[in-house]
Amino acid sequence: MVLHCYFHSLGHSRSKELKGNPITFYADIVNAMLIRATGQNLQMEYTRSLKLLDHVKLSEKPGKIIPSGDIAALVYLWNPFTIVACVGLSTSPIENLAIILSLYGACKRQAPLAAFGWVIATHLSLYPAILIIPMILLLGYGTDTPPRKLFLQRRNVEVGDNPPNDRCCEREEVVHRSEVPHVFSWRPVIHFFCWTSLWSVYVLVLCGISVKQYGGLWELFKRTYGFMLTVQDLSPNIGVLWYFFAEVFDFFRNFFLIVFHGNILFMMLPLAIRLKHRPCFLAFVYIAISSMLKSYPSVGDSALYLGLLGLFVNELADMQFSFFLFCGYVGVSLLSPVMHNLWIWRGTGNANFYFATAMAYACLQIILVVESVSAMLNHDRKLRKPLTELQDGKN
Amino acid sequence: MAESEAEVPKAKPRPIVRLGIFLISHSCLFSVICCTAGVLTLLLLPVLAKNTYISENALMPGSANPMFSSQEVSEANRLVKSLTSLDSKPVGSGIESQRLIAEYMSDLGAEISYHKFYPRSNQFHPLHFFSYPDSGSTRENVSCISHGLNTVGIIRAPRGDGKEAIVLVTPYNSLKVGPGEALSLGIAYSVFSLLTQVTWLAKDIIWLVADSRYGEYAAVNAWLRDYHMPVFSGLSALKAEICPVSNVHNELKENSVTERKINDGFRRAGTMATALVIKVTDGSEHFEDSLSIYAEASNGQMPNLDLINIVNYLAVHRQGLRVKVEKMRSLINCKWLKILGEILQSLGHVAKSLNPQWKFGIPAKDYVEGAATLASSLYYQALGVPTGPHGAFRDYEIDAITMEISSRVALNNKARKNDFLLRGGRLIEGVIRTVNNLLEKFHQSFFLYLLTSPSKFVSVGVYMIAFALLVASLPVVAASLYADAHKVDPSFGIDKSTPQASATDELSITPRSCKWLNAAKKVFLVHLWGAVVSFLPYFICQIPSCTPTTSFVVWVLLSSFSLPILSLILGSSFSYGRPSQPQKRDWTLLKSVTISAAFIGLCLMSVINFATAEIGALLMVPMCLMAQPLKLDIRSRKLRKFLRVACNLALGFLGFPPAGFFVLKGAFEGFGGITVGDFWSWLESIWSWSSATYLYIGMVHLPCWVLCIHVLFHPC
Repeated sequence: MVLHCYFHSLGHSRSKELKGNPITFYADIVNAMLIRATGQNLQMEYTRSLKLLDHVKLSEKPGKIIPSGDIAALVYLWNPFTIVACVGLSTSPIENLAIILSLYGACKRQAPLAAFGWVIATHLSLYPAILIIPMILLLGYGTDTPPRKLFLQRRNVEVGDNPPNDRCCEREEVVHRSEVPHVFSWRPVIHFFCWTSLWSVYVLVLCGISVKQYGGLWELFKRTYGFMLTVQDLSPNIGVLWYFFAEVFDFFRNFFLIVFHGNILFMMLPLAIRLKHRPCFLAFVYIAISSMLKSYPSVGDSALYLGLLGLFVNELADMQFSFFLFCGYVGVSLLSPVMHNLWIWRGTGNANFYFATAMAYACLQIILVVESVSAMLNHDRKLRKPLTELQDGKN
Repeated sequence: MAESEAEVPKAKPRPIVRLGIFLISHSCLFSVICCTAGVLTLLLLPVLAKNTYISENALMPGSANPMFSSQEVSEANRLVKSLTSLDSKPVGSGIESQRLIAEYMSDLGAEISYHKFYPRSNQFHPLHFFSYPDSGSTRENVSCISHGLNTVGIIRAPRGDGKEAIVLVTPYNSLKVGPGEALSLGIAYSVFSLLTQVTWLAKDIIWLVADSRYGEYAAVNAWLRDYHMPVFSGLSALKAEICPVSNVHNELKENSVTERKINDGFRRAGTMATALVIKVTDGSEHFEDSLSIYAEASNGQMPNLDLINIVNYLAVHRQGLRVKVEKMRSLINCKWLKILGEILQSLGHVAKSLNPQWKFGIPAKDYVEGAATLASSLYYQALGVPTGPHGAFRDYEIDAITMEISSRVALNNKARKNDFLLRGGRLIEGVIRTVNNLLEKFHQSFFLYLLTSPSKFVSVGVYMIAFALLVASLPVVAASLYADAHKVDPSFGIDKSTPQASATDELSITPRSCKWLNAAKKVFLVHLWGAVVSFLPYFICQIPSCTPTTSFVVWVLLSSFSLPILSLILGSSFSYGRPSQPQKRDWTLLKSVTISAAFIGLCLMSVINFATAEIGALLMVPMCLMAQPLKLDIRSRKLRKFLRVACNLALGFLGFPPAGFFVLKGAFEGFGGITVGDFWSWLESIWSWSSATYLYIGMVHLPCWVLCIHVLFHPC
């Protein structure tokens, strides 16, 4: 209810600024709603797995588990980056909508929706293509849970205990039941692939029809994906590539293009292996990395991953450097317009001034990703600790 | 800020982490050392100043012989004489003098146009410094009755392509032409007439005779705005609707055959490379003819140092003028500054006796002069108000300075006057000829510098050290406070590394990353309040017939009311309530977040306007670092603690912007005749010049002061 009030008040305040073009505004609202629904889904799974792991004390205490969906939606809506991107009539809310739609669909295990979101997101900005790994994991394993090993361990403990009463047998059954989603189920994945091919053919045909007179699909690819991949536009943005490619010698250009884009791809596989039990978090990490290394980043991308970060507020509560990151984000987002002004309008600064803030921003993003991943792994370890103690005690 | 670096496993942290832990654990000592070093470096800046040099090779100042001769001087005399005779006539209205100047110009074969402008009233636009100056000029509210008239003459360069221009500006009051103004017009005219004949000119010359009836700055600014923003027919029709066209042009054109060259439209040359504002004052100097240079534009922006170098070089080495820049007079007779200068001098001697290669000592007198100049340089940059009409040019990225030539004696003697005109004319000719050699814009030398004398400067790389040392202690102290706040609470921090703590316990504690969120909320609220306070004057301005004192009182009342209202709306209470156990250490977190906010604000300001940030840091850093609940200190009855209480109260008093303003004003100008309204008038002047300093005071300094006071009176 409170959330709806917030929506309402926000709607009034922002729609005034967006005269005549409310589509990005509505996209943001829908984004927040979808994030909230995803968050509720994730939270249910979280409490369930905690119960299974016998952290009953934790899961039953009211107020200890923060409603992460609401938090994430609020973070997304009230984030100054979101507001700036929305007021600036950037298209990133729509791209974000496609990404969030696919995540939501995968969380709800609705293959057509997930496939639609993924195809549209890829079509719009190409980089979400890497989200196919978390999509498959989500559809195959289900939403984020503690590592599978823990459940096995838990079951071993229970079985080894050999209790006389049947309450524990019940528990065992529960544990057994909990195993079911942890077996990789191929059916939704195959559905997903079918739907993906269907949607992509659909989108391609539509595109082909509409750009027929302008040189066909190949021209479209060259002008859109080619433009993104070859970093032709070197006008300054909050990323780091424009400066680099303005400086680099032309004959090294192709090499570095491959290196920079390969960078994203190199990180995919190790992360996927380590975080395969938490596909949503994996998606967040992918989005953060790609928004850091993409060719034309904008604050709208940051708004998306900061919003998604709110989904894991329970798990990441012990994150280190949170205050430092917060100050850093505030400082950089204030400093970079000033530096831009100094360089472009007043002429007293130069490109290095602005690029310094872009580098600081990239560093902040790296720290955010590293710290959030390590906090998540720590959280998993913490969940394992009572189990190992229990086991040790018995042995 | 490595606030949680202390938590890394004890095994063998990396050196950088160990360094961080070391700094945080000795934050008190570190901050004292840093602050002292920062203040000392600031005091050392006059010693560290370097001699200026001309950085751009293409300029070649003074390489050509001056062509300015007595013939031009006689022309200047002719114009001055007719201007003064015009002035003595009773009917001499403004238009007469403009027509006269236009006549003289057209005799030289220059293109002439008039530029009519309407003065704008002072408006409240604090965010203006951030935008391009053109914005918002269409919805100006002009008063149709009063208008000024600039006269513009343009010489097309025989060797140029018309893409670049040099501007000469002579402001004068068209209603009453003073002797100094007439002389400045004479000098400009003589140079102008010389430039019509020369063959080396590669840039067009624009001579703007600015009508300073409504202020010199307004006239120049209006002309520049129209120069850079072409007015198309639609808009001009609109303007015509607003103001019935009083046909000035027709008035001016009548019964004059020579003025066939006058154009109705707005004449333009290319982009402006440089602008020189020429002024003449007389009879104030004791020793010799002198030249004062004014360079500060809005928000502490300076023209390229090369421009000042050229003028300084030509004035000193070619024309034998004494060059001055503004000084803070009250500092010259300052006792402690003299003593400090002598100490530095003797230190320099000692160093020289140890090793003749070390030459950093400067004479005590030079030191005091340098410090006074530096102080005034800092002050005028910090104020953000341009020191002359040259400030209007900087908004369009044009380097400009005001040259104020003043003579030793009153210029009644004819030969003396001719000599003065000759030297002034040669100086300006030399500067123009040098700038004429310029291949592109001034870019070689510094834009960010402070002057300690006309031939000495402190570059950004040096003066940033003083500031960086001052603020370096802020993040360290913030980090140590943050770490403290977590360590003190027994439930976490240290026990993380101990394996005995059960997992459920660890999970059930409130997440520590969220602890600072409350403090951050409070800080955010106060900064929001600061924004509200800084925008309140916009509404107070609208109240008609309000004396500064009443406006100030209204402002203070509204501000103090708006804080509780805001906290009520946003649901964060400022009343302390009963301090429960965990709340007792709340102030450390609050102080930590406050210090971080102050750090961000100061860094931001140092980029926008360094001088403001430096002065602000001098006031704010000690206040932020010292702030500690008074109750704690009073409870333990020790002398040291009482000293700290006294320090805190004094700093808290000084930190309050009006109090600080009155104390500083009293210290420099004496306490006589200070009224409460002074502060309001001062702020009004700052915001009407759209200075970023105003925003800094409202949105960084004031909130930090409120938070520090909040910490001071924290119950614990």
